Amino acid sequence: MTTATLTALKARKPLGPWEFWGRMLVLPYLLVFVVFVLYPVGYGLWLARHPQSYVKLFEDPIFFRTAINTVVFLVVAINLKMVVALGLSGFFVRTNGWIKALSVLFILPWAVPSIPTILSVRFMLNPEWGVINTTIYKLTGLDGPNWLNDPTLALSFSMLMHIWKSLPFWTLILIAGRLSIPAEQYEAASVDGATTLQKFRFITWPSMKGLYLTSTILSMIWTLGDFNSVYLLTGGGPADLTHVLATLGIRYLRLDQIDLAMASIVVALPLVLPLVYVMMKRLSK
Amino acid sequence: MKAKRMSWKKVSNEAKLLLIGIPVFLWTIIPVYHLFLFAISGRDSATSGRLWPKEPTLQNFETVFMQKHYYLNHFWLQLGNSLMIAVAVGVITLFVATTAAFAISRLKVRGGRTVMNMALFTYFIPAAFLAVPMYRTMATYGLLNNRWSLVLAMVTIASPYCIWVLKQASDKLPWELDEAARIDGATPLQLFRLVYVPLMVPSLVAVGTYALLLAWNEYLYGFLLLSKETDLTLAVALGNFLAADDSPWELLMATGLIYALPPAAIYYAFKRYMVGGLTAGAVKS
Amino acid sequence: MASVAFRNIEKAYGKVKVIHGIGFDIHDGEFVVLVGPSGCGKSTLLRMLAGLEEISGGEILIDGKVVNELESKDRDIAMVFQSYALYPHMTVGENMAFSLRLRKADKATTDERVNKAAKILNLDPLLDRYPRELSGGQRQRVAMGRAIVRDPKVFLFDEPLSNLDAKLRVAMRAEIKALHQRLKTTTVYVTHDQIEAMTMADRIVVMHDGIIEQIGTPLELFDRPANLFVAQFIGSPSMNVVQGTLRSAGGSAHVDALGAQWPAPVGGRDGLAVHYGIRPTDIALAADGQGIAARVIVVEPTGAETELLLQIGESSGQEGQFVVVTHGRTNVQPDDTVHLRVEARHAHVFDAGTGKRVA
Repeated sequence: MTTATLTALKARKPLGPWEFWGRMLVLPYLLVFVVFVLYPVGYGLWLARHPQSYVKLFEDPIFFRTAINTVVFLVVAINLKMVVALGLSGFFVRTNGWIKALSVLFILPWAVPSIPTILSVRFMLNPEWGVINTTIYKLTGLDGPNWLNDPTLALSFSMLMHIWKSLPFWTLILIAGRLSIPAEQYEAASVDGATTLQKFRFITWPSMKGLYLTSTILSMIWTLGDFNSVYLLTGGGPADLTHVLATLGIRYLRLDQIDLAMASIVVALPLVLPLVYVMMKRLSK
Repeated sequence: MKAKRMSWKKVSNEAKLLLIGIPVFLWTIIPVYHLFLFAISGRDSATSGRLWPKEPTLQNFETVFMQKHYYLNHFWLQLGNSLMIAVAVGVITLFVATTAAFAISRLKVRGGRTVMNMALFTYFIPAAFLAVPMYRTMATYGLLNNRWSLVLAMVTIASPYCIWVLKQASDKLPWELDEAARIDGATPLQLFRLVYVPLMVPSLVAVGTYALLLAWNEYLYGFLLLSKETDLTLAVALGNFLAADDSPWELLMATGLIYALPPAAIYYAFKRYMVGGLTAGAVKS
Repeated sequence: MASVAFRNIEKAYGKVKVIHGIGFDIHDGEFVVLVGPSGCGKSTLLRMLAGLEEISGGEILIDGKVVNELESKDRDIAMVFQSYALYPHMTVGENMAFSLRLRKADKATTDERVNKAAKILNLDPLLDRYPRELSGGQRQRVAMGRAIVRDPKVFLFDEPLSNLDAKLRVAMRAEIKALHQRLKTTTVYVTHDQIEAMTMADRIVVMHDGIIEQIGTPLELFDRPANLFVAQFIGSPSMNVVQGTLRSAGGSAHVDALGAQWPAPVGGRDGLAVHYGIRPTDIALAADGQGIAARVIVVEPTGAETELLLQIGESSGQEGQFVVVTHGRTNVQPDDTVHLRVEARHAHVFDAGTGKRVA
């Protein structure tokens, strides 16, 4: 080493205890991140490098169907869920006794793990033994339909399942948003003679707009990742017709078609990454 | 006459609210009640369509606890796995997240902002997308038939949110406390142990509980990473019930109910913390 | 107990320099107050002494030893913060014992030191309480107790009374001063309140925009401010200042301002543009109608004194307002005309360009 380098090295301040421990204490997470996020993501992208995989993917009719299912799922389920959440947030801020009791019950889908409840619904839909069909038989003597054997019905039930599970969370978020609106604004509007609809349009909505939008975006990301609601209810069937992106990757994985699995995920990234970027901008301050 | 008119208005208002409340109640309770109903029903009452079983029985639970059915051979072991993995994830995540949050928020480590953003990014990517490369990665690391693969995977998924929440909470601690401790003679580790951690206990409880529940409720990763029956978590074992054509549904419901009780209990016990913690995640207050 | 020395201290945040070459000495056992408006750099200087801020340039010495590279805990100092900085999860006793606990001192020593400090500050009954159960004044005393237990070479106070109400502030001022007289530890005290500085300090360091405007005893600063800034900063109500021209001839001088001639001490050349300053308490109301004419605008009797707001020079085209403080009561009413008498020895003349004292 030259004298210049030596003097440069000596001139650098030695790491004080505060700087040293700062680095040491952030190390556990960094390790976790490098070993279990960075490497897998890199490896996954590397696995997805062959253009061939994408050709194969787009030629697979299941993929095409899955893409449509996913879009339908996102558009219908999320908007339905958020609109209902918005409405319910107005309902639950009231202080009637029974409403407060109901709000405690309302959290149940969120508190209870999804596996037993999804399986419970699956059992309800069982064409032979499920309560729905047995009730139909009791009332009309007819056999009810094989609910999960119709792709449209099956997908719809998956969406309902997803909404059932996630509605309480978003309702709570929107309730928090509503509670931050000062009551005086509503009182002043009442004095001014506003109807309920007008109060919503001129007071509630302007205050809630931002939160509603953020929630919708975040919900889109999370709904894209909802594996359980589809897999545990329909298994992707019948005949692989109700897959969504979250379950498709796993399907390819189990068929040992890892390149297709990764390709299907990469294909979803142009949708996911902008959403993630928007969420990060809104939150990282 | 006036009194009568006013009470009529009240009644009609209440009626309108009930019009919302009753459907909400039914919608919320049905899947859960169904689960409970069939957990306490015998095999035959599945077809009866009654609201309450003719002879409510704990027989199913006995079968489960005695492991008397083929699918329940390893019930206790699997319950133990779920518990052990959940606790391990909770503890390790707490360690990783607390040290990282301390380093970023109090020690102001260089690059802390970047680490925070990296964590946030990981949080927003749907876990289902990460599952495929994670599976291959665990294979590469030789962890595939090892319960630790699930623990580490869940730690990876739970940490980002925990770090974010802890950092937000840490930032609220007054700076002068650290300065006073430094002047009193504290080393970084003493500051961490004697001042920081005691003051962060409520947040640590919330975050540890979040990680624990996340692991307990997890299906997909357990499904992918664990194959030996004795390694499975109860969640995955529940899913395996569906493999047969003639599933013992009432046993499935009973096992599901057992599985669902701990998280439900914890959510209701810690409602305030969970709501606060999670709304802080999505709402920019 | 130790001396403190600042040598050519500089501080920069990135490219922005906030302290420009400050140097002065503090003698062993002295109570020195750093005073100045917000942003003048006094807190930054204190924190550099404490080791909480990096020193960009220059040296700080405690007891003759350079401490630039030393960690806070090795400098043997104790600090009382504006917001008390008590550990919320520890009792008063535990707060005060914390520094000893970090050094793994034995129980006997710890108890002895804590009890001694508690006695001095009347904290004995509060030792088992938590900070959230205490009033502001009590918390401040605990913070001081924590500092006393350390038995340091230097006490540092960073605006400790700013969060207290006026009455409490007056009481705590006296307590801190009494503490210093008892313990005789070198103390460096930062405040923006010049009254605190005047009442507590052995010497005051007036700071402004990162430089020292003047160092001196309270009375030195009051009687002979070295520049316009110090003149207007020290003293309440603040000094009356007008712009004018110095006229000096033979053995006497006066300043032309507001259409009148104001007596001034000799010094400075004739024709110099100056700022003329006279304290409200140094202006007398002439009973005989001789002197500088002024119209009364507002009369504020405060019981022991009367504060008058006067308009001067209305007929001359140059107008200005003066504040006069007289002892006792007066019969003066708004719109009355009064005459002012000023003695040259009470006047302060500052160069209009540099602000420095001329005479």
